[in-house]
Amino acid sequence: MNFSPLDFLESIFFEFRYAPLIIQIAIIFVFVAIGMTLLAYASILRRRFRGFRRDTKITQLNEQIDDLLIENVLSQDPEAVETPGQTAEAAAAAFQLKPFDTRWGRQVLIDRLINYRNNVRGTMGDEIRTLYLLLELDKDSFKKLKSRKWNRKVRALNELSSMEIGVADVIILPLTNSRNRELRAAARQAYIKLSKNEPFKFFDLATEPLLQWDQVELFRIITTTPHIAIPNFAQWITYSTNKSVVSFCLKLVIHYHQLKAIPAVMKLLDTKDHLLRAEAINCLGKMKIADAEEKLVYIYNNQPLDCQIEILKALGRIGSGRHTEFLRQEFMLSTDFELRKNAAKSIINNQSADSSIVDELMATASPENKLILKHCMNPLIKF
Amino acid sequence: MQEIWDIIGNFFETTVFTYGAILLVSYALLAVCSLIAVRRWVTMDRFQDGEVLLTSPLAPGISVIAPAYNEGMTIIYNVRSLLTLKYARYEIIVVNDGSTDDSMDQLIKEFHLVAVDFAYNAKIQTRPVKKIYKSTNPAYAKLTIIDKVNGKSKADAVNAGINAAAYDYFVCTDVDCILHENTIIELVKPVMKEKNKRVIATGATLRAANSNTFDQGVMVGVRAPSQLIPRFQEVEYIRAFVLGKMGWTLLNCVPNVSGGLGLFDKEIAIRCGGYDHTSFGEDMELMTRMVRYARDNRIDYAIRYIPKTLCWTEVPSTLAVFGRQRTRWARGLAQLMHAHFGMFLRPRYGKFGLIVFPYNFFFELLAPIIEFGGIIYYIIAIIMGWINWPTALVLLVFVYSYAIMITTLAILYDQITFRYYNSWRDVVLLCLMPFMEFFLYHPLIVFFSLRGYYFFLTGKKAGWGNMQRRGFQVAPNR
Repeated sequence: MNFSPLDFLESIFFEFRYAPLIIQIAIIFVFVAIGMTLLAYASILRRRFRGFRRDTKITQLNEQIDDLLIENVLSQDPEAVETPGQTAEAAAAAFQLKPFDTRWGRQVLIDRLINYRNNVRGTMGDEIRTLYLLLELDKDSFKKLKSRKWNRKVRALNELSSMEIGVADVIILPLTNSRNRELRAAARQAYIKLSKNEPFKFFDLATEPLLQWDQVELFRIITTTPHIAIPNFAQWITYSTNKSVVSFCLKLVIHYHQLKAIPAVMKLLDTKDHLLRAEAINCLGKMKIADAEEKLVYIYNNQPLDCQIEILKALGRIGSGRHTEFLRQEFMLSTDFELRKNAAKSIINNQSADSSIVDELMATASPENKLILKHCMNPLIKF
Repeated sequence: MQEIWDIIGNFFETTVFTYGAILLVSYALLAVCSLIAVRRWVTMDRFQDGEVLLTSPLAPGISVIAPAYNEGMTIIYNVRSLLTLKYARYEIIVVNDGSTDDSMDQLIKEFHLVAVDFAYNAKIQTRPVKKIYKSTNPAYAKLTIIDKVNGKSKADAVNAGINAAAYDYFVCTDVDCILHENTIIELVKPVMKEKNKRVIATGATLRAANSNTFDQGVMVGVRAPSQLIPRFQEVEYIRAFVLGKMGWTLLNCVPNVSGGLGLFDKEIAIRCGGYDHTSFGEDMELMTRMVRYARDNRIDYAIRYIPKTLCWTEVPSTLAVFGRQRTRWARGLAQLMHAHFGMFLRPRYGKFGLIVFPYNFFFELLAPIIEFGGIIYYIIAIIMGWINWPTALVLLVFVYSYAIMITTLAILYDQITFRYYNSWRDVVLLCLMPFMEFFLYHPLIVFFSLRGYYFFLTGKKAGWGNMQRRGFQVAPNR
């Protein structure tokens, strides 16, 4: 019997051609599924292989960079350096190696230098920055900044701000309102770090909200950047229409203990937004503004629960002892557990002014209130 | 009689065929959505330095709640593992749900615990709390242990933890789960980065820890499970989390945040009554109620998932324990569908009512029933000689190859996220699983699901659903 492969294929094609539509579709999908599965295997193989090779190359190159840096920069005696940048100039010649001619190699070098600069301060940190400039790595960063891809822009901003390379306001400021969240955040951080004149100018222009994550990152940048000119945050607390900017400024007021901003914070007690109001109360409490106590007690009964809790906490933090009777009333008469607990904590914080109040409450309070008092007095329990 | 068979035959050839086709198309769509979501997450993650949350005073406070019942074999390692979590503001609450072993004694001794007068506010009703302990050692200041009367469910124990929690968000995990040290940071990121919506829950990928090695509760080696049943589950977890839930997260349609690890908005969880201790699928049930509450109160909510594995758990390694677990899950699903059927196709519940609930109903709840019916029909058709073998074989090959493709894509996406396994052998072993899953593992799932539905319909009693721990492999002294 003569049955060639061609005949076989022909018979399969014949079967396929006259099969029901469903079966034809199924057969096509079988091939698609097999193809996709093989492609997935190939991708897994490729990813793992490339990942492994990349890791090995990066490790080797990093070791080489470490050796060069230790030998030419870090082991040099800072006292022996006559002019700033002298060490970096000598080191730059040592870095004229083949791996650093490629874009990939230069990127590894940039990342490594940034890593060192983040961990080394003073003269050595400056030398690393000079080395970055002498090797013209800043040109790579600026090239990335001009890219149309947002992720390359973010990378460039991070590099330039880490190396403290000035970027014109006209380039960064528009990016602080970018629709892309990551780019917007990176631009804001870079602007604060790099702008010499008005690092907080973007607060005026911010139309997009500062997300909680953005606030955490900005807070770190602001509080760790040396020689940053801290403005009076009252201007944004009073005039900004962006609630997230106001909220963030309140946190900065607390951090910098900015007493001159307190009148603006006090005005915020009249805002209709109860979340902002609660933050303003929190700010007054943490700043221990005794003058605010009267107003806080006055407005207490008209407030939602979150603001009432903040008022009780604030009275405890201020601890002047002038409102222990108010706190006692709240502790004894409130039906809300959280209010009683916070009142109790504040009473204990005010103990120095009236030491007998806790004993009196322990003698007269209900079993549940006694438990709350014991809870608040126990040093092992924080909250 | 012939007429009845014709009707059944017609039903399978038209309705069930359409059902199957829709299911396969939805898997394909999920695979596409998942790829987009995973790639997006990987790109974004490069630029987010979580370390900033280690010291920031602006980091939101998180309570980590871990219920434990008779976990004496591993409890000390487990609590030590929880204490290695990195974050600026957090507390750890371990709830001993009336263990009958020496868990509590071990905890008291190891962590220098003393009973304290804790003002416990039962916002959610639970079985009575006996005592609450704090450590006298400042090194364990973040640790709180609740000793309560056994509530016969994990839900009751977690609810007690929620009542004692001090912060606005809580992470729910099992005490036997080993968490990545950056778990809190990774889970809280989606909450902090959401612009307009209120993130009510965040979840992350879980993985089997059966063959991993540990040193003092800290994971030092990751391996794919060496036993067949755990390895099947590993692949199933990858598919469910990386492909399924990541696909759903792109559409803001995540149906469930796993009980093994999830971060939740405490206020909403309390307002909707906490975990339901009568439910067998308490995690999915809570999620459904939280969504229901959010929609009823016009809260623009979001539920997010991340593809990174943050939690390793010991999965059942014997058929008996595995069967119990899956029966329980199936029963929970049936219970949930029954309890919340009012959400089915109701526009009031948005995507949850129009997409998530119908999907779960048709493709999760009904799938085992339809599949089982199909197998019976197939067998009868074979016996009666009604089968057109070439057609049947083509369709079988089609379904088989499609299932392999979907699972392999999930493994690929997982590899895109992170290379968890250093060994090629582990990856090859995982890639082989989809070929066997169809014949060995999947029929078991169908069987246990049907058993779960049967128990639901007959109201069979069940307890905590505790599984026998075998303990983890301990790294040799170096």
